[in-house]
Amino acid sequence: MVSIIDVGLGNVRSIEHWLDRSNLFYKRVPEVESVTDDVIIIPGVSSAGEYMRRLKERGLDKEIIDRSRQGQKIIGICLGFQILTDYSEEDGGIECLGILKGSTKYIDGHKTHNGWDAFHLDARKFSENLHIKKKQKKIVSGRVYFNHELRVELECSHASQLDNGITSFSIQDNIFGFQFHPEKSQKSGQELLELII
Amino acid sequence: MSFRIGATVLIDHNGNAIQSYGFKEKRILGDLQKVLKFLDAYEVDEIHAIVPFKGKGDSGSSKIFSHLSEISISTPLSIGGGITERNIEKITKDPFFERCIFNSAIFNNPELLQKTKSIMGHQSMVASIPFIIDDNLKIYHSKTNSFQAIKDELWKEIESNFNEVLLLDANAEGNKKGFNFQVFKYIKFPIDRILISGGLTKCDINKARKMGLAGVSIDNFALHSEYSIEALR
Repeated sequence: MVSIIDVGLGNVRSIEHWLDRSNLFYKRVPEVESVTDDVIIIPGVSSAGEYMRRLKERGLDKEIIDRSRQGQKIIGICLGFQILTDYSEEDGGIECLGILKGSTKYIDGHKTHNGWDAFHLDARKFSENLHIKKKQKKIVSGRVYFNHELRVELECSHASQLDNGITSFSIQDNIFGFQFHPEKSQKSGQELLELII
Repeated sequence: MSFRIGATVLIDHNGNAIQSYGFKEKRILGDLQKVLKFLDAYEVDEIHAIVPFKGKGDSGSSKIFSHLSEISISTPLSIGGGITERNIEKITKDPFFERCIFNSAIFNNPELLQKTKSIMGHQSMVASIPFIIDDNLKIYHSKTNSFQAIKDELWKEIESNFNEVLLLDANAEGNKKGFNFQVFKYIKFPIDRILISGGLTKCDINKARKMGLAGVSIDNFALHSEYSIEALR
């Protein structure tokens, strides 16, 4: 079972379609009472200010932080990845969840990053990470879809960067962050899903 | 960032995919779900699903967007046509798409644009600009259903409110006449944030790539045998 955070924002339906295609069961989590010990996905497509406001309003911010500390697998996608950091410059500056040490800043010149870039994940490099499934296929390589105007800067080396300096993804123990949209990344996104959930 | 080759899917008020010719004639292509699944299987870079309409707004669009939301595709999706103050909250409440496409009726509606931005983010904002060149550049005004000259101030509005512009050559829509690149003499918008559509040939696509455009959006007629997305890559 996968829990998708649903505060009335974010592309929850696209995440559901993504999980459906791999025959995974899921549920929407709109409030603290519905949170269980399953994998938690924080979806993308929204703005940090409004998303954090709604998380706090429901007490979901603290719940996600507590559960991340207890080792529960958390997957942040696009905005969901950005709000895992300490702070985001979006909406005039927003305090985020602080699960990942680092911050989220506007891409230089307030440019946006829309389109496809290369992606490569070799699961053998994470052989000690118990949160990555031990599959026969250990490498996902292809292209993934980005659509964002802020970028994550992390204070660690567990992140993969594109040539333009944008953090593409980060895997730190039970915390997975993807700046791109795996749910809209066609074949690569589906292969990635099967490796991480 | 790679050059994108996307597809435009026009949708009629019954939820069918249609082909429009020169902004005048329309022909039904078939069931929307099948068309989108087909494009998904093609692995086009993105799909622009648009409900063409005239006037200020269209209550029928919400129903069509709701129908779209049931379609499971793994390709980035932008939707447009008929987004108004009345339906924006409903449409963006549970989005199954990444980007919104707005037409000229909305360009001077800062309230609606700001609202959409706060929900979806600036990266999601796309302006659709159908144009003709008739001595000068004229863009389509849905309110009046006519093509009119564009004022310089409007470009500033467009640049501040939209992340990308989708330029549609209305005369070439639905055929292979070739896209009218003369339009770039008049455009005051960053070239790397422009997508073009209408009449595109393989040469046009190569030209667009060399010019550094963000990408192209192929007409529905790519769905017929005369064109293959794969061959255009």
